[in-house]
Amino acid sequence: MSKALIIDDEQQMRRLLRMALESRGYEIYEAADGPLGLQEAAFHRPDVILLDLGLPSMSGIEVLKRLREWSDVPVLILSVRDQENVKVEALECGADDYVTKPFGTAELLARLTVIQRRRFTRQNPEIIVGKLRLDLLHHEASLNAEQVKLTPTEFALIKVLAEHAGRIVTQNQIIRQVWPGQQTDQSEGLRVHINHLRKKIGASGPQIINEPGIGYRLESEGES
Amino acid sequence: MSTYTQATSTAKKPVSAEVVGQFSWGITLIFALSSTCWVLLPYTGYMFAALVFLLAIVLAGVSWNRGPVLTMAVMSALVWNFIFIPPQFTLHIDKPQDVIMFALFFIVAMSMGHLITRLRKREESLEQHHREREQLLAAKHRAELLAESERLHRTLLDSISHELKTPIAIIRTALDGLDEGNPFAAEIDTANRRLQRIVENFLEMTRVESDALKPHPEWCEIGDVLHAATTPLQRDIAQHPLVITGAESLPLLMLDSRLLAQALRNVLYNAILYTPAATPVEIHVTLENNILQIRVRDHGHGIPLESLDQLFDKFYRAPDSPAGGTGLGLAISRGLMRAMKGDIEAQNHPEGGAEFTLHLPVKSRQA
Repeated sequence: MSKALIIDDEQQMRRLLRMALESRGYEIYEAADGPLGLQEAAFHRPDVILLDLGLPSMSGIEVLKRLREWSDVPVLILSVRDQENVKVEALECGADDYVTKPFGTAELLARLTVIQRRRFTRQNPEIIVGKLRLDLLHHEASLNAEQVKLTPTEFALIKVLAEHAGRIVTQNQIIRQVWPGQQTDQSEGLRVHINHLRKKIGASGPQIINEPGIGYRLESEGES
Repeated sequence: MSTYTQATSTAKKPVSAEVVGQFSWGITLIFALSSTCWVLLPYTGYMFAALVFLLAIVLAGVSWNRGPVLTMAVMSALVWNFIFIPPQFTLHIDKPQDVIMFALFFIVAMSMGHLITRLRKREESLEQHHREREQLLAAKHRAELLAESERLHRTLLDSISHELKTPIAIIRTALDGLDEGNPFAAEIDTANRRLQRIVENFLEMTRVESDALKPHPEWCEIGDVLHAATTPLQRDIAQHPLVITGAESLPLLMLDSRLLAQALRNVLYNAILYTPAATPVEIHVTLENNILQIRVRDHGHGIPLESLDQLFDKFYRAPDSPAGGTGLGLAISRGLMRAMKGDIEAQNHPEGGAEFTLHLPVKSRQA
């Protein structure tokens, strides 16, 4: 049974989330503010944290930063703010994904499942997302068992997205991994390579979804 | 004295016409002073003229440029020698002490002219520095005030947004816990979504009007903009076939995709709301002369002629509008497009239906 910690100052929201998640088999802990949330996280060691960004006293971003000093537990951001820069900041401080209130329970559960799926482990030199298969040993990609010719940059790009399949990856996170150490702005190059990748993967493979102002999400077909 | 005041007021930037004026005034002054001293010569002696000339040079140096002042110095030395130093009306000087006097006069006149004009220049540049500094300080102060009020405004908007959206979110989550077949739950859900749209429209209108809206252009694909515009409408758009043309061949565009998507979304929502179910909605995208144009055409009854002018006004609702709108959607679209230096227009298509055109200037790059 997974343990989930809900950090939200709205009591009603906590109660509802508890009901929704308990019926899906989660064991729930609650905290009404940041400091309490950090204590609960240290004490119960939850498998996943739902963190509201608009907390009183200590902001959600601050909670996230302190949490990331000692824990890499998956964190899902709950936010009513639609301001993109706050979401991007949260994601770059180590949040795994976000949902914007009001959200449907189905969407919430899908996100939780994806971020709880253990992050990619390097024991297997292969990533599979839907019909797309990446062979990390030979730097080869194939779609429906047919090889897809990718340039080294395109391969590095699809690898980053595939490692985080189903999760949002911010533009900066992608750029840092695909062009490590580059000082110049690579956002233009990123767009160009995404464009090429989309053409090569086509409509039958997993889709590279853009979230304006935030980043990209690789969604395997039939899972969105 | 008109030249004097003129020279002071624009002393910072010597204009050639002004310098010419100073030259002629200088020559005139030397002439007038020599005449006066000539008349007074029997009573005062020739040394007096030298002192008068020096005084004139000092005074001229206070307001005039270097060129005219130094010319005055040279001229007065020559005039003094020629007219006043005996023997008169020759450049020849008899007594050795007069030769020394002449040389001294020349040196004193030149250095006075030089030093005083230089002093004035320095003073002026100091003054200008001071003025610039004050202007900078004032500008900084204004910017700080503006930033502070903007920050306050944003905090207020954020907290109102939080207060209004939280209950809506709670209702939404609670509804998800109810049985899906419950018809009452479906009604609450419809009403809640309507409420959410109204709240979002009001908040967005406030943002559009408050100048807090700053476009952040970045390279993007038009397909992503269309995707972002249509995805949130999926529930509503299902009844209308959506036909998109022209998007495939477009290069990368430099624009704020979030703002454009929102402007387009409102136009699409409007088209869906005002046209009979199952009629198609067409989106045609073109890029010409660095102007991106998105035309949205529906196959409804078109826009009543009397509404065309007010369509984009805040709170305007066309007669016989279906219930559920706020009259803000198109006003927001226009505000967003204008914030991006573009605009939006509406007309009736010659073959029926309404046609909205969103256009904005963009940089493009072949992918």
